[in-house]
Amino acid sequence: MADETGSSIDRRRFLTVLGVSGGGALALSGCSTDRVEKLIPYLVQSEDQVPGVATWYASSCTECPTGCGLHVRTREGRAVKLEGNPEHPINRGKLCSRGQAALQGLYNPDRLQGPMARGADGKFQPITWDDAIGRLATKLTAAGAQVAAISGAGRGTFSDLLAEWVGALGGRVVRHQPFDSEPLRAANRQAFGIDQLPSHDFSKAKYIVSFGADFLESWPGSIEHQRGFAQSHGFGQRDVAKFVYLAPRRDLTGLNADEWHPVRPGSEASLALAMAGLLLEERNGPAALRGALVTFTPEMASKETGLPVETIRRLSREFGAARPSLAVAGGVSSQHAGAAEVCAAVNLLNYAAGNLGETVLFGANPDTADGYAALNDLLTAIDAGRVAVLLVHDSNPAYSLPKASNFGSRLQKVGYKVSISMYLDETAALCDLLLPQHHALERWDDLRPRSGVYNLMQPVMEPVFDTLPAGEILLRTAKKVGGALARFNAASYQAHLQSRWQALAAERREPDFNAFWHAAVQRGGVFGEPVSTPATLSAGAGKVTYTRPTFEGTGQYVLALYPHGLLHDGRGANKPWLLENGDPVTKITWHSWVELHPEAARKLDVRNGEIVRLTSPHGSVEAPVYIYSGVHPEVVAMPLGFGHTEYGQFARGRGVNALDLVGAPRGLFLPYVSTRVSVEKTGNFSQLATTEGNPRQLGRGIAEGVSLEAAQKGLTVEQAYIAEGRGKHEVNTERELEAVRGWSNEQAEATQYGDYAAANPRWGMAIDLAKCTGCQACVTACYAENNIPTVGESEIRKGREMTWIRIERYWEDPADAPQADARFVPMLCQHCTNAPCEPVCPVYAAYHTADGLNGQVYNRCVGTRYCANNCPYKVRYFNWYKYNELAWPDPLHLQLNPDVTVRARGVMEKCTFCIQRIRGAQNKARLEDRPLRDGEFTTACAQACPSDAIVFGNLTDPASRVAQLQQNPRGYRVLEDLNTRSAITYLAKVLLPREG
Amino acid sequence: MRKLAFVLGGVAAGGMAALLASSEAGPQAQQQAVAVADSVRAPVIADSGSLRGPRQPIFFRHDIHSGQYKIQCQYCHYSVAVSPEPGIPSVQTCMGCHLVIGGTDSTHQAEIRKLRQAWNEKQPIEWVRIHYLPRHAHFPHQRHIKALGPNACATCHGEVQRMPQVFKVNEVDRMGFCVTCHMERKVSRDCSVCHY
Repeated sequence: MADETGSSIDRRRFLTVLGVSGGGALALSGCSTDRVEKLIPYLVQSEDQVPGVATWYASSCTECPTGCGLHVRTREGRAVKLEGNPEHPINRGKLCSRGQAALQGLYNPDRLQGPMARGADGKFQPITWDDAIGRLATKLTAAGAQVAAISGAGRGTFSDLLAEWVGALGGRVVRHQPFDSEPLRAANRQAFGIDQLPSHDFSKAKYIVSFGADFLESWPGSIEHQRGFAQSHGFGQRDVAKFVYLAPRRDLTGLNADEWHPVRPGSEASLALAMAGLLLEERNGPAALRGALVTFTPEMASKETGLPVETIRRLSREFGAARPSLAVAGGVSSQHAGAAEVCAAVNLLNYAAGNLGETVLFGANPDTADGYAALNDLLTAIDAGRVAVLLVHDSNPAYSLPKASNFGSRLQKVGYKVSISMYLDETAALCDLLLPQHHALERWDDLRPRSGVYNLMQPVMEPVFDTLPAGEILLRTAKKVGGALARFNAASYQAHLQSRWQALAAERREPDFNAFWHAAVQRGGVFGEPVSTPATLSAGAGKVTYTRPTFEGTGQYVLALYPHGLLHDGRGANKPWLLENGDPVTKITWHSWVELHPEAARKLDVRNGEIVRLTSPHGSVEAPVYIYSGVHPEVVAMPLGFGHTEYGQFARGRGVNALDLVGAPRGLFLPYVSTRVSVEKTGNFSQLATTEGNPRQLGRGIAEGVSLEAAQKGLTVEQAYIAEGRGKHEVNTERELEAVRGWSNEQAEATQYGDYAAANPRWGMAIDLAKCTGCQACVTACYAENNIPTVGESEIRKGREMTWIRIERYWEDPADAPQADARFVPMLCQHCTNAPCEPVCPVYAAYHTADGLNGQVYNRCVGTRYCANNCPYKVRYFNWYKYNELAWPDPLHLQLNPDVTVRARGVMEKCTFCIQRIRGAQNKARLEDRPLRDGEFTTACAQACPSDAIVFGNLTDPASRVAQLQQNPRGYRVLEDLNTRSAITYLAKVLLPREG
Repeated sequence: MRKLAFVLGGVAAGGMAALLASSEAGPQAQQQAVAVADSVRAPVIADSGSLRGPRQPIFFRHDIHSGQYKIQCQYCHYSVAVSPEPGIPSVQTCMGCHLVIGGTDSTHQAEIRKLRQAWNEKQPIEWVRIHYLPRHAHFPHQRHIKALGPNACATCHGEVQRMPQVFKVNEVDRMGFCVTCHMERKVSRDCSVCHY
């Protein structure tokens, strides 16, 4: 080569020569754009897949017992996004973070990849399915009737099959959910003689009181409650239902309350009874009831709860005056020994206020599991050596039971332990045989989450690993075992499911089963309205009791455990989205923490991040402190869900399991608030991995609020400030305004050229802070839609999270004021007309698009980070590492959205207003020769929002929903003084007058 | 076992035939390929090695399918008018015809045997990709078919119906090629139309 071209050849010349003389593309495979790529077509083209076009399937969520409907977006045969099914009566098109993260369960790198058995050396060895089923069959044949199963399956054909199958052998099944609502069911049995959970209509309530019930978070049906709550509390009908929260800890539900009263832990029942007593007296209720409540005076309740008598009287008065009102109780964070008493008292309160049949409804019979009493029975049988084969399906009691239960060592009494789970969780690790089951998105199945509602699930893709549907495992085993199981002879689980649906079709008198089945598959099930059952007080209703709470141990503080908003009972702990998204209240990600009241922190002389040791009679744990004014001064609170010893690479060894501090479940339920702990300093410190910046607004007007009165009068935020005698926001100096005007003029001129001169849409957004509850479903949706990498704990500590939309939480009032108003603001790129990020980019990577977006061209970006420095909203995120290679370990990368570029190291990124959805909708409209319709598509965050607080659309179309919302007098723009002229209008939160 | 032997035998025979043919009619074939008109019968070419464009696992002749037999592009590239992706025909699509059509001469027969073998062995054919864009650029085929008509393929891909072996005519992976056309036709040149 050198001979031909002389010694002066440079690199560019060398490549040119090679390009011309080289023999085709193969010779150039070293060059970046000319590498050899393969096109591998289908062998047989699938009829319902068009490459490049999404195919949607209806299915059902199985992440909690609620049973929300799903729409699954698949591309080229793999699921890439989960959204709510708009037709489904429970979630109406919305989906919470946990449901959306089911995708990370499907593609979880720690899923079991095939059946395994424990070998002679005690380690798991891969085996074939035939071998696995054979081993189970042999053990079952030998076990006779000594068979039992623990299952986390929701009510449906599978749970029926399991019950019949185990029943045929003579064994029993315990359906177990750690966060079961046993106290509420027990109270309903007592008060109304109905062994069901009620359904609550939050949308109709004009006054809501919650006795520690976190109905916006861990309660089943939280999406439905959020929708109803947004309607009644969100200034929808020119009025706002007042929401009062009475609990020792202020969780996310509590942060949405207009009034929070930190009652002493365990004392809620006395308060509810006193309020009921006052109401019954005022309304001249049944004498027998009034007699039963005579001892529960406001004075007595005041002594128990620590609330002033006057407040109790006022709450009772207000509650009675609003019709209908709604009182709710029950839930993990208020599950102390007297939890059933609280629920019974609240039943009386609802009765006294006339809410039965109005906001408290029976008949839907939401799915519940069998409770801890059944599980305890089974454990007793295990202790007695009466269980030879135990199947554990989709349930992880080795983690979710406190250590004090000794589940692990008691399990050793079982001869043969079989796990039917997707993961090697704590329970599976104790088993002898692992039979990994299909994910819900890979199998045929159904659920009956409430009466009249039948969810149908279909496989949306080929299984990722060598797994089987749990039903198929049962049927195949039945064929091997024969005998009592011989009648389970369906050809496959799908055939079994269809035969059950044939029975359903016959019951519903459907003329044509095929049409019925296809319609159900297409719609995701059959949805009917439940028949309402009227509830009347039973004879036992008046037998109300209140036991002054006692807590085990001698520590100084009462320990209040509560479900982590996203990890739930710990099942979310191996999903990076849920770990990185963090807790909605504290904004802490990736690790556990201990919440201390500021007063307690002062007493102990600890600061945020200082590691303390909590010791109860059952054990001790160490975790960093988070000082939080939202806990009762006598309480320390800890989230559940962390501290796994197995379960996968993200969960293992992360944080501590707070359950180590409580005792074993006795009776109906597991009391999560039942011990006292002592708190000691360890002298160690670990910086909290929090995504929170400054918790204060510092007068910047980021999260505005207007009084109800001002909102009703239609005053703007500024007018409301003046009317209330508060100072106006700072205004720009003349010099600043001049500079800003100059830049504006230049921008205006720029719009005269090229693409910008045409009639283009202007994309914009309206976010109603009166509706936003801070649940963070939008954040997870954004992670899923836009291929946002998770960066992990240590990077978060450096402030390097990549979340394109975050929920900022600001405290109004002094931070330690108990009533401190919490304001949530979804913060994302504001797509400013006058964007500060654009003029500072030296390479035009940040630029203004013709349709008014702040574009970010990844392939131009050289990573100067000037744009991020100049962005006043801090919504630009930089790829410090090769997150594109680190964040999605195989096969997690299969979840990536093929419509969105995966960003490389050294590139700045930010919210694009889901430009891939905009372009997709434009392409579709163009094919159909029509303009875009308002509401035809929306961004991922707006799609997910359970409260419908986010509305996206075209601002130049005056009829669009967003354009109309932007005219709302409550509308304001964040940091408007900077003249960024952003595309997002926030509607100020509506504040009720403060009392008490 | 007998069936497998038959298939293997077929491949060996085909390979030999191809070798024999290549020694006779290599360079001429390429000249003929350039000269072939739409209505003219496509030439017999035994060796694809001397043709432009990368050698494919099966010597699929666009000049025969699209040129001589005038099969519409969209018969095989089925999703081009509805999707960003044009759609690469499945092996089943090929077999739709080649279950019956075995080829007129030995070189064609040899290639069709490879196809049938792939079908029998349930192995998709790994074509060497010729036109592709970097991952940060999005090209919606359907918009371009809509704007330029169903026979617009040649605008970017050249006269594929004359190519015995497809090669890249235009620098479709260079932004200049896109932008030139967008400027001529006065359509949007906004970065975010393609880059997101």
